Amino acid sequence: MSSTTTASHVDDFCAAVRPLLASDQLQIDESSALEVGGLAPKAIVVPSSIEQIQRVLSEAVIHVVSVIPIGGGTHLGVGNVPSSYDVALSLARMHRIIAHEPADLTVTVEPGLRIDDLQRALAVHGQFLPLDPACEAASTIGGVLALNAYGPRRHAFGTARDWLIGTRVVHADGSLSKSGGRVVKNVTGYDMHKLYVGSLGTLGVLVEATLKVAPLPDSESTLAIGSRSAAHGAELILAAHDAGLALHAAELLSPPATHAVLGQSSWCALMRVAGGAGAVARSLREIDHAATVAGAAIETLESSTAWDAWSTTFRPRGLALRISVMPSRVGETMQVLDRRLTGGSAQLSATVTTGLIRASLDASSDGQALAVINAASEVAAQFDGSMVIDAAPAAVKRGIDVFGPTRSDFAIMKRLKDEFDPKRILSPGRFVGRL
Amino acid sequence: MSAAATSNAQEQANDGVMPQVVRELVRALGRERVLSTPEELIAFEYDGTIERGKPQAVVFPESTEQVSAAVRIAHRFDVPVIPRGAGTGLSGGAVATIGGVVIALTRMKRVLEIDVANRLAVVEPGVVNLDLSKAAAPHGLYYAPDPSSQRACTIGGNVAENAGGPHCLAYGATTNHVLGAEIVLADGEVAWLGGTTRDVAGYDLIGAFVGSEGTLAIATKIVVRLMKLPESTRTLLAIFDTVDDASNSVSAIIAAGILPSALEMMDRNIIAAVEPVIHAGYPLDAEAVLLIEVDSLEEGTVEQAEAIEKLCSANNAREVRLAVAQPDRERLWAGRKTSISALGRLYPNYYVLDGVVPRTKLVEVLRKTYAIAERYGLAVANVFHAGDGNLHPNLLFDERDPGATARVLDAGAEIMRVCVDAGGSITGEHGVGLEKRDFIAWIFGPDDLAAMAKLKPAFNAGERYNPCKAFPTHKGCGEVRQAHIQRTAGAIGTDIYV
Repeated sequence: MSSTTTASHVDDFCAAVRPLLASDQLQIDESSALEVGGLAPKAIVVPSSIEQIQRVLSEAVIHVVSVIPIGGGTHLGVGNVPSSYDVALSLARMHRIIAHEPADLTVTVEPGLRIDDLQRALAVHGQFLPLDPACEAASTIGGVLALNAYGPRRHAFGTARDWLIGTRVVHADGSLSKSGGRVVKNVTGYDMHKLYVGSLGTLGVLVEATLKVAPLPDSESTLAIGSRSAAHGAELILAAHDAGLALHAAELLSPPATHAVLGQSSWCALMRVAGGAGAVARSLREIDHAATVAGAAIETLESSTAWDAWSTTFRPRGLALRISVMPSRVGETMQVLDRRLTGGSAQLSATVTTGLIRASLDASSDGQALAVINAASEVAAQFDGSMVIDAAPAAVKRGIDVFGPTRSDFAIMKRLKDEFDPKRILSPGRFVGRL
Repeated sequence: MSAAATSNAQEQANDGVMPQVVRELVRALGRERVLSTPEELIAFEYDGTIERGKPQAVVFPESTEQVSAAVRIAHRFDVPVIPRGAGTGLSGGAVATIGGVVIALTRMKRVLEIDVANRLAVVEPGVVNLDLSKAAAPHGLYYAPDPSSQRACTIGGNVAENAGGPHCLAYGATTNHVLGAEIVLADGEVAWLGGTTRDVAGYDLIGAFVGSEGTLAIATKIVVRLMKLPESTRTLLAIFDTVDDASNSVSAIIAAGILPSALEMMDRNIIAAVEPVIHAGYPLDAEAVLLIEVDSLEEGTVEQAEAIEKLCSANNAREVRLAVAQPDRERLWAGRKTSISALGRLYPNYYVLDGVVPRTKLVEVLRKTYAIAERYGLAVANVFHAGDGNLHPNLLFDERDPGATARVLDAGAEIMRVCVDAGGSITGEHGVGLEKRDFIAWIFGPDDLAAMAKLKPAFNAGERYNPCKAFPTHKGCGEVRQAHIQRTAGAIGTDIYV
């Protein structure tokens, strides 16, 4: 579907916001760099304050122009193709760390702060935010929260919802609302911030986030264990998990993924062992023993190199899928996916203990991409799971809902969107059920 | 005056249609699942707080269909619905403030499934918190959130309040352990939020639902995460001659990058109440003790316990005791778990508060708490989740003293204000309920509350579910607290857990 607003609406909007902004905060040109689903914005606004964002959105709702908030612009392919996209709202200039209280293990940040910069600042105090999505250097905390992006550490640390304790959000009408706070335990008011995580900018523009952070582990080591089959790799991981070993991450990689990450070509259990020195030593010993008993090759890797390679492999681009099944069914699901998706060339990685499988492929044509999507969707259904498409060619995405079929709670979601954004100006059409 | 009159008007309106509502409820659910005589209803007028409110009917559904049927009837006759678990709540969440139908979920107490391989359980809302852990224990699993009322409180109530407990420090509160729920909306429709697999596309409605204090929907099935019982647990008791030293030890432990599974503080007045009864070994001349627990692999607990002992000693702990064997550990915990009810030995009444401050502000806020209590001529006993800055000052008094109750409420409000001014919050785990709905404006402004208010229409809830709770009063709620306080003050200090 094409844009529902006319150029004159956008012109009127630009005329209205121009006095509110410095000359370099409003760019009126179609920028292909900020394309979303093949659509380019007609204008780019780069605010530097919450007040500016409030006034920009107030004008946007008056002129009914659609706005997509943008962080580092590294994951713009996520979500459905928007139904309309007039203005890119870049948060690049809002990148401060507002407060970091090391002794409270909390940090308050602006959305445009790059994840790498946040991690570096926390590391100075021996801390980190234990979210490790497959990011790029430019990826921001706001983007991670808007996408609910996560990586292998989800095994031990959950997702953004488990770390976000407070937000400030500018809504479609320009109002600013706060939820949660800066304390780690708090049940005052509804947990609105849970709703904003993963909402793809459809309920508001996140302008401030307070997160819990964790102490960096004293000791860390990464192991790669070659395994005969998907089932065998999954078993090794589940056994280590059941033994309570000190695992911060445990991914099961398909042979093409193993090849991309560490240059070998077997199924592989990739484990990040971390914690206190004694617990890590014991965990390494037990994993080594289990591998030896199973006759599996085991290799110790340089942690950051291995996980950076994982990250590079699983950035959502080309064709990227995420399948969620029960943890106990990961082994068989992976085996079937490996066989069905383009005959064994799919790079697959599963966070076994949470039942999450990523597939990264290069489709040679739109038709092939669609065939792969259909096959993966069938496999997900076969194992009582669900699937989300993180990246696909725009032409393919236009014909489908990348989030899959809606469920019995969709009516609530739709009413929520109606309440927050009745004129559908915020990232319209991008979310579940094309909200 | 006029507000109180409105409240009465609502109750009278209920009274008018109630005989018909009761007849319909009996027809839909069966006589044996409906209470409606004044004598039967008395036990359902209150929860763990000082607030009271009289429902016109209480129903005990045994299935989702029956919950839905009861809700549809209330919807048709436009009467309030108040969901209720065990009634142990500490913010008035289960009190029928303006009357209506209480839906007691205590007969829906089946553990429907324990999926060992996937470490999750599907339960009905009336399952008692501790019973779930007991059911999971043979499989080496447990349910982590452990409010001190866990022998009585229900998972459904825990979900409504986003309940906490001592072991939330490392493992999070209820919200971090609930994956999904089947819910009944205010019009009787049934929907699922979240699910059994981890990633369900769409807004995190289950995240918004947990902690919504019964105002958005009623959970009829709940999917929770179970955790593996740890290989090793070590419990330390650190004894201090000053509260400041104990508070500083808490900060030092967190700052050193150690996140114990529990980190609790008890002060001199708590020790004085507990020790003569429980004989947990808390020295009567200590100003404060810390109860600290670590659990993980054996190697991990050894390392952490050693580090914690050093940090406490560096902060002037008089003595640090270590318990490893389960009976020894349980003895140390026995004092903590019974501490509030033991206060009854010292004073006829106590009023338990629930505030949160940044951990680094513990010293400052505790000092102010003692000063405020002293200024009001009240004794105060502190037992709380120090590790996450969640304070529970207990104000001790005798309600027969003229003006005592009013002083307690004023002192409580001042202490809450101190928490807010320190960058904290007015409730960490008990909920806003009735008790604190007028304090919420200290934290959230009109625009913040307006955003939250959008959830009610999204859930199609209107004011059907648990009206007059969790948010500042609106038309029709009345000044319930003021109207009821004088005649219900005697309820303070009956059977309270934190």
